[in-house]
Amino acid sequence: MRFMIALLAATLAAPALTPAAAADLDLRFTGIETPTGAIMAVVFANEADYTAGKPVRAMMIPVKDGAAAQVVSGLAPGRYAIKAFHDIDGNGQMGVNPFGQPVEPFAFSNDAPGNMGPASWSAAAFDLADAGAVQTIVIK
Amino acid sequence: MITLSRRELVTSAAMAGAVLACPDALLAATGGAAPWTLGVGDIEADIPLQTLRRVHGKAPAGLAGTLYRNGPAKFRRGGTASGHWFDGDGLMRAFTVPGDGTATLAARFADTPKRRAESAAGKIIMPGFGTPAGAGALVTGPDDTNAANTSVILAGGELLALWEAGSATRMDPETLETRGFKTFRADLQQMPFLAHPRIEPDGRIWNLSLSGKSALVWRLGADGALQAAQGIKLPRASYLHDFTATERHLVIVLQPWIQDRMRLPYVDSLSWRPEQGTQVLVVDKADLTKQRIYELPAFAFFHLGDAWEESDGTIRFDGCIEADPTFGATSARELVAGIHHPAPMPILGMIALFTDGRATLTPSGTAAEFPRSNPMLAGKRRSATVHVGTYRTDRPFAQAVGVWNWARGADDSHDFGGDHLVEEFVLVPRPGARSETDGWLLGTTVNLKARATELHVFDAARVAAGPIVSWRADVALPVGFHGNFAARQG
Repeated sequence: MRFMIALLAATLAAPALTPAAAADLDLRFTGIETPTGAIMAVVFANEADYTAGKPVRAMMIPVKDGAAAQVVSGLAPGRYAIKAFHDIDGNGQMGVNPFGQPVEPFAFSNDAPGNMGPASWSAAAFDLADAGAVQTIVIK
Repeated sequence: MITLSRRELVTSAAMAGAVLACPDALLAATGGAAPWTLGVGDIEADIPLQTLRRVHGKAPAGLAGTLYRNGPAKFRRGGTASGHWFDGDGLMRAFTVPGDGTATLAARFADTPKRRAESAAGKIIMPGFGTPAGAGALVTGPDDTNAANTSVILAGGELLALWEAGSATRMDPETLETRGFKTFRADLQQMPFLAHPRIEPDGRIWNLSLSGKSALVWRLGADGALQAAQGIKLPRASYLHDFTATERHLVIVLQPWIQDRMRLPYVDSLSWRPEQGTQVLVVDKADLTKQRIYELPAFAFFHLGDAWEESDGTIRFDGCIEADPTFGATSARELVAGIHHPAPMPILGMIALFTDGRATLTPSGTAAEFPRSNPMLAGKRRSATVHVGTYRTDRPFAQAVGVWNWARGADDSHDFGGDHLVEEFVLVPRPGARSETDGWLLGTTVNLKARATELHVFDAARVAAGPIVSWRADVALPVGFHGNFAARQG
């Protein structure tokens, strides 16, 4: 579960790329139980980067009225996956207990479940078509 | 005259050997399970409140309250089974003696994510102490595998079903309804909370979380509220089911059964390293950074008795000492399959830690498990240790209960005989008790002949005289682990 700490580090270091052909990813987070802080989300463009924690986009989406949403534009059509956590206390970090277990909610695209670690790329990956895509992710 | 071919002869000899080596397995394989397997049976549904039938004797005046006991009671689903006795679903039992001569029983399963997932799958799938993960097991954190099956305390008005590798589970003390996992503080979610907290006579609770060489020391008030949680480092990653405490110190015994790899199920990550001996870490309750380490010869154990400190600083405590961890590593796995795999017998021993750094282990010679003592003397000098004992070679589980007296070097015990599987007994002090054993022993057995669970009360000072009173349920609950008595208030 320490992957979430790595995820955060990757979040802060992520470069923003603007490809030639671009589509919009409409990202929505639901099921939020604590109406504070922000959703920290990162977007990956392939399995190797997903595993290595090298995102193409990283964003902080404020939680408002129990929900969080953002349109991510400028992504090249293709296959992507998302890792996210709810930074409830707004300290910019994935909260973990003293043994490294996450204590703030986390989720993956497609609502793919983590199982003794992050969700697999194959379970979390989705297609971003030329016309764009919507990802609604339950995070609680 | 019957002539056997060579092949038939070999086969017959092998069969005879198999029968001698493993009669229970053979019986199980042929559908005729050994009688003791009633103690590892499945309970299919919660047990509604029932009045127990008095078998003999009369309830003593002054004894009023509820003996809460926890233990695994569902091991098998759809042709699959738990891989270890420690992995069955926790069934919380409430044996109530209201004080009017009657007794009742109600029992309810802890409603855990594990139980829900396995109920939905119709199979045993969640990984455990000795159970591998099955297809469809979804584990996002330790509490997804929480069996809530090991012990129970009443703290802050809540019944806490305890398990050692995850959170305590909150239950209603009256209805036994599950209310969810206990989070003492948001940043301590899903921290393990051992099933053997040490409770001071005034109600303050000490406990540990363990993960490899990392430990967290919990301190709760008598009201069940968190007072402090502080991490300490351990010299080795021992398997640790229980620790003990004096008034001033925590005593953490580190057996050489050590986690040296990451593997599921958990028990497969432990190695027995007797050449490393046993270490004892003593930690000052007032300053957890003040620590001492003692060395003892190698032994394995699950349970320790309450510790105390003498005026010269010597720390003493007893424990149920095993020559090696065969029981936990192998025997307790095979129990669920109906196989009796003999293991070194647990022997009650006294450990002394001297201020000059020496440590000694003195065996009593008495086979014993589930050590308990007078809760009013927790952390203070004492001589009586309640235990179960008298183990047979032909089956698992104890058949006697006793009080070992360290001052006299003698055991005051009662043998229920081969028809009983004897579970843990607790010492309940008489109101206004004047001595250590001025009170009652309260505990349960599984009567194999009657195929029913029984509740027994003894005079703690006259155990050999037999039960003062015994009641019988109309159901045989499988052998449980640990419990505690909550005296009726007011």
